[in-house]
Order: sequence, then structure tokens, then C-alpha cells
Amino acid sequence: MDPNQAGGAGSNNSSDFVRKLYKMLENPSDESVVRWGNDGDSFVVLENEKFTKHILPKHFKHSNFASFVRQLNKYDFHKVRHNNEENGQSQYGSGAWEFKHPDFKMNNKDALDNIRRKAPAPRKPNQATAEEFAPSQQMDMVSGQLMATQQQLHALEARYNELSVHHSMLLQEVMGLQKTVVNHEHVMQQIMTYLHGVDATQRRNSKLVFPNGAQSNGNMEAPSQAADDDNPASPLQHASKLLSETNADAMLNPRNLQQMNEITMRMNGTLTTPPPLDFTRATVRPTSRGPPSAASTSSVRVENLDNIVYPVGSSNGIDPMYSEHINNIPYAAPPKAVDASEPKFQEGRKKSTIPDPGWIRPPQILLVEDDPTCRRIGSKFLYAFHCSIDCALDGLEAVNKMNSGTKYDLVLMDIIMPNLDGVSACHLIRQFDTTPIVAMTSNIRSDDISMYFQHGMNDVLPKPFTKEGLLQMLEKHLVHLKKPSPQADGMAAPQPVQMARQLVLKEEDSPARSPGTVSNWHSPNQMPGVSPVGSTVPDEFAHAMQGQPVQHPGAYGVNPLQGNIGYSTSPHMQIQARHQQAQPPPGNRRQVSDMSGGDELSNPAKRQQQMYAPQMQQPMQPRPR
Amino acid sequence: MSVSDDKGGDIMSIPGAEDTIDPATFEQILEMDEDEVEREFSKSIVYDFFGQADQTFKKMDKELEKKEGKYLKELSELGHFLKGSSATLGLTKVKDSCEKIQHYGQLKDDSGTKDIKEEEAQEKLAKIIKQAKTEFDEVKEVLKDFYKDDAE
Repeated sequence: MDPNQAGGAGSNNSSDFVRKLYKMLENPSDESVVRWGNDGDSFVVLENEKFTKHILPKHFKHSNFASFVRQLNKYDFHKVRHNNEENGQSQYGSGAWEFKHPDFKMNNKDALDNIRRKAPAPRKPNQATAEEFAPSQQMDMVSGQLMATQQQLHALEARYNELSVHHSMLLQEVMGLQKTVVNHEHVMQQIMTYLHGVDATQRRNSKLVFPNGAQSNGNMEAPSQAADDDNPASPLQHASKLLSETNADAMLNPRNLQQMNEITMRMNGTLTTPPPLDFTRATVRPTSRGPPSAASTSSVRVENLDNIVYPVGSSNGIDPMYSEHINNIPYAAPPKAVDASEPKFQEGRKKSTIPDPGWIRPPQILLVEDDPTCRRIGSKFLYAFHCSIDCALDGLEAVNKMNSGTKYDLVLMDIIMPNLDGVSACHLIRQFDTTPIVAMTSNIRSDDISMYFQHGMNDVLPKPFTKEGLLQMLEKHLVHLKKPSPQADGMAAPQPVQMARQLVLKEEDSPARSPGTVSNWHSPNQMPGVSPVGSTVPDEFAHAMQGQPVQHPGAYGVNPLQGNIGYSTSPHMQIQARHQQAQPPPGNRRQVSDMSGGDELSNPAKRQQQMYAPQMQQPMQPRPR
Repeated sequence: MSVSDDKGGDIMSIPGAEDTIDPATFEQILEMDEDEVEREFSKSIVYDFFGQADQTFKKMDKELEKKEGKYLKELSELGHFLKGSSATLGLTKVKDSCEKIQHYGQLKDDSGTKDIKEEEAQEKLAKIIKQAKTEFDEVKEVLKDFYKDDAE
């Protein structure tokens, strides 16, 4: 047999290793350690240790069982596994290793020639099974990886969607804040217009008063007053200058944001957050940078001056302390003046029952409400406010209407409705539209409200709504549809109309001039120490912005200017507010007439009497012009 | 204000109106009437509400009898529905009871804060629906009186 085998080896048809293996098995003395399998188509290593120590060195010149197994594998021997057999145990004992190769058989030496080292590209037919096996394993692996990747992709997609929803929420949020700031600016400007008017009257009046008896006021303001008689008081000029800058700043940024918003809507998802942040800083800064001492001094002075109405702005033109308050006016005066002027408007409303809010065009309102009673009353109110109304009976209809391309200026949305509730409807609408949506609901707990805001609602109008609350909501969100002139004229009624117009023009101009002035806001020296009074509100705003952007109630709550009624986040406040409207306490009323000055302005004679009568015993002079 | 003073006399002077109707809310609807004698608008709203309330109470009775499936949820929704319209009209008592129906239907107590058991809710619902009906009938009389007087 050996010569044959040698011949075979010589012809290079079988490998050394396989021959050695075969030879090893031919040695019966080692049978207890390694032998042919019972069927002669495999061989079994019975005693691993002995085999490694004694037999391997004898035949293969090494004593490494692992490398022996590796070698076997290279020649495509396979370990026979017994796990799947019925008894779960090798018939040769638990420690036995059985190896098998289709061509490695007892008494079939010729077949050994077929046993080759596995080549990179195996060509033996008997290796076909192995070939198939390997790729299928690879396929498993690849498909597994694919699955994992897909999962990752899904997760990323979900995350992306979530982020883009958050992003658009933030955008909405910032835009809402911008609107608020712009409204704020408008109010300030109106007040400035008004103050200018008052100032002009005062100057004229002082012309009359002082020549006749400057000593009668017993104040030291007379000389200085005479000096700058002909110009608007410098604090006023200063203030309007500041205002025009602030306004410009506020007007510049919304465009960026709106662009961004459009981009998000197109799902391009470029997350350019810096602009809104910049904006917040920019707006917070100017409002909070009132000279540190000014506000506090003003409050002290107010106390000192007791009965003088200076702080509310009706008489600061001739105030004795005037020149010392130069920096004060734009910051200290407006909020108070606004508070005072709001009730005045309401009073006006009450008198005429249904005021004309003075729209440029009738606002298009979509009223979404399932309850016929609420719907009819809501519609009636809106109609009374010169709005044009469309109704939807549930959220689904609302979404369809919005989606059909009809443009609305405002959506009033009930929350609990059949088919599709208001919050879901709002969420859907927000995927393609930014029209302001106001929740109309009796569920106004703070978590409810923050949920509404999270889903893109812009505001909450608590139910049952009042006419005033509704009108305030309209005026707040439809500022861009308001005619600017009536209010300005109304406030400065008896004044030379020219002046009011000029100021209105200025208002409209200012946005265009913005680029030059904006840079100012970012220079550090524009931010001196922040006055304790002036800074509270902006700081809270900033805080709310940084901390939890979605927590509107907080941010809105601190807004001193807007909708103390429409806004209120607690039912309690709402009720209070309504009470005040329904039956204003006498104090409120007095305040109205005292502070706003609007009514008195229209009656200059009476006004002058009030102011000068104690000092001047002589009859009133006719007004110049 | 003058508005609430002079008009408030009208409806609030009717016996039983005082604690069932919120004058401010109701009057802002009256203000919408173009004709203060006919009161076409507010009258039609109020009378529509009567029909709406009757229907809703009937539905409530049915659900309460059923006591199976989603009847509690249905009841809560019906309560919410009637709460909305009665609140808009300023019918405070009816509104308050409807709010309770809404809460009980959600297995919550009066104020909607604490959980209650289903049996308790059934009991309370039966009671409160009956009460709401009575309150509704009361305010209905007041309103009918008001509109009858005005129309004559």
C-alpha cells in the first residue's frame, strides 16, 4: 500500500497532510486514542490530551491540537457535531472529536487524491455544498445588517421629524414673540404721538400762562420752559429716536424668520437657529437698557410730586422736573399710559356697543366650532366686528378648508369636537400653514394650555368668551390689518393733525431704515447697567426663551401690554377680568378719565381749568390757532 | 356700566333669574339684537338652545340606562357639549351641572381631580342629570318669561 501511496504523493495528487493523517489511522496501536469512526467515513480523536501529547508529535512534528484542527479545516474536514442527534451525545464519548471529509474513507485510499487544500476559488464539486453554505451565511449577515441599518434609518427619520416639528414650534414661538414686540412698538409709538401732541399743547399753553403770571405756578420750570418753547421737548425727541431704532430692529428680523419658516415648511430642514437667538437678544437689549438710575428716580419723583399727573403722560410738557427725566420717558411712561388707554377704549366700546375696529379690509376668520349655540354667537360677534366669517363644524372640516387653499387671517378653534379635535387639527394645519390659530376652550388648566401651544396654537381664548376678549384677540393677532391713523388721530385729537400724520409717517418709514441702526444694538456699550425696574419684564422673557421655549403661558403671562383679559392663563384671572368689564369699580373708572387724558383733551377748556384754575384767577384765554 | 345697568333690569328682575343667569354673558348676546323689542337673534339662539338641551338630556338618559360600552365617555362628551352652549349663554347653573356630568363621566369627582369608582359615578350621574334638567327647566321658564314679555 505504501508504495502506491508514495506514488500518489509523487504525482502530487494527494497532499502530505492527508497521507500522514491516513497513515496515522492505520496504526492500530493508537486505536484507543484516535481511530476510524464506526462507519469508516470519519475519524475520531477519542482522547484529546494523549493525542496532542503523543500522536501529533509522532506524525505532524508538533503538539498543538488547535493547529491540527485548523489544518483539517483547511482541507475541508468538518467536525461532526452531535448536538442534533437524539441522545445529544457522541457515540464515542463526550470528549471525542469526530472529523469527516466526503473523500476521507477507510479502505478508499484513491479518494484521498481528491482532498485538497481549500483554494480561493474552490472548484471541486464536493465543495459545492460548502460554497452554498458560506454565501447563505453571508446573506444572513448582510440582511441582518440591512435590517439594523433600516432600523437606524427609521429612528433617525423619527428623530428628524420630531426635531423639525420642534423646530417649527420654536419658529412659531419666536414669531409670536416678534409680533408681540412689534405690537409693543406700535403702542409705544402711539404713545409717543400722543405725548408729542400733549407736549405741543403744553408749550402753547405755557406761552399763554407764563407771560401772564409765571410766578403763579410757583415752580422753577418757567425759565427753562420758555427757553425750549418752540421745539418738542428734548426727552420726547430722544425717545422717538430710540423708538424708531427699536422698531426698525424689530421689523428687520421677522423676515428672516418667515423665510426660515417657509424653508422648514418645505422640509429642507436647515436648522439655522442663530437668527432667532440673535433676535431675542437684540430685542431684549434695547428694551432693557433704560438708564439704570432713571427708572428708580422716576418712581421716587412720582411720590414726591404727589398729585401731579406727570408719570401718566398727560402733562409732562410743563412738568417742573421735566429736564431731569430726559431718559425716562420711553421706558417709564409707556406701560402706564397703555394701561390707562386700554380701559378708555373699552369705555368707548361700551358706549357705542359695537365699535368699528377699523380694519383695512374685513379680516377672514375661520370659526371652528361644533356647538351651534357657540358658533352662532361667535359668528355674530365676529360679524359685529366687521369680520368675514367662515365656519367649520369640526377639526376635519377645518383642516380641509385650510388645505383647500382658502386664506384666512385667523382661525378660532374649539378644542373638543367630534371627528377631529382642535389640537390635532391645529397640529395638522401647522404642517402646511402658519395662520394664527386661537384655541377657544373652557379647558384652560396650565397643562392644557401648554399642550395647545406645543401643537402650534398661538393663543387661548377661554370660554365662554366675551365680546371684549374676542375683540382683543382679533386686535392682537390682526395688528397688520388695523388702520393706523384712527387711533393716532383719536389720541391726539385736538392737536394739529399735521403732527400726528407726520408721526404716523415716521412709523411707517422706520422699518426701511433699519439696517443702519441695527448694528447699534449689538455693540456692548449699548447695554449699561440694567435698571431693576426696566429689566424685569425682558429678563423674564429672556428666561422663558432660554429655559423652556414651549412654555408660553409664562412668557405670555409677563407681557404687560397685551390682553390682560384674552391672555390670562388661569380661569380665575379671566373671571376677574370679566368682572371688571362687566361692572368696573368706581376706582377703575376714575383712573381712566384721570390718566388717559384723552377725554379731557377733547375738552381743552375744561382741562386747562383743572390744571390752572387754582393759580389763575383770571378767565381763560382763547387758544392760539 | 350703563349698558348692564339698564338692560340688566330686564331679565334679572324676573324671579329666579338671579342665580341661574350670568347677566354679563347673557347681555352681551342681547346687545347683538338689532331690534330690542323683537330680539330676533338672541331669541332664536335661546330657543335653539332649548331644543339642543332637550335632545342632549334625552341622549343622556339613554346612555345612563344603557350602562354598557362607552356610555360613560358618551355622557362626559354630552356634558361637555351642553356645558359649552350653556356657558356661552351665561346659564351658570346648568353649566356647572354639565361640568360635573363631564367629570363624572371621566370617573372623576366634582372638581375633576380625584378618581371615583364606576358605581359611584353612575349614582352621581343619575343625580346630577336630574338636577341639570331641573335647573334647565327653571332657567327656561325665566327665559320664556323674558322673551314673552319682550314680544308683547
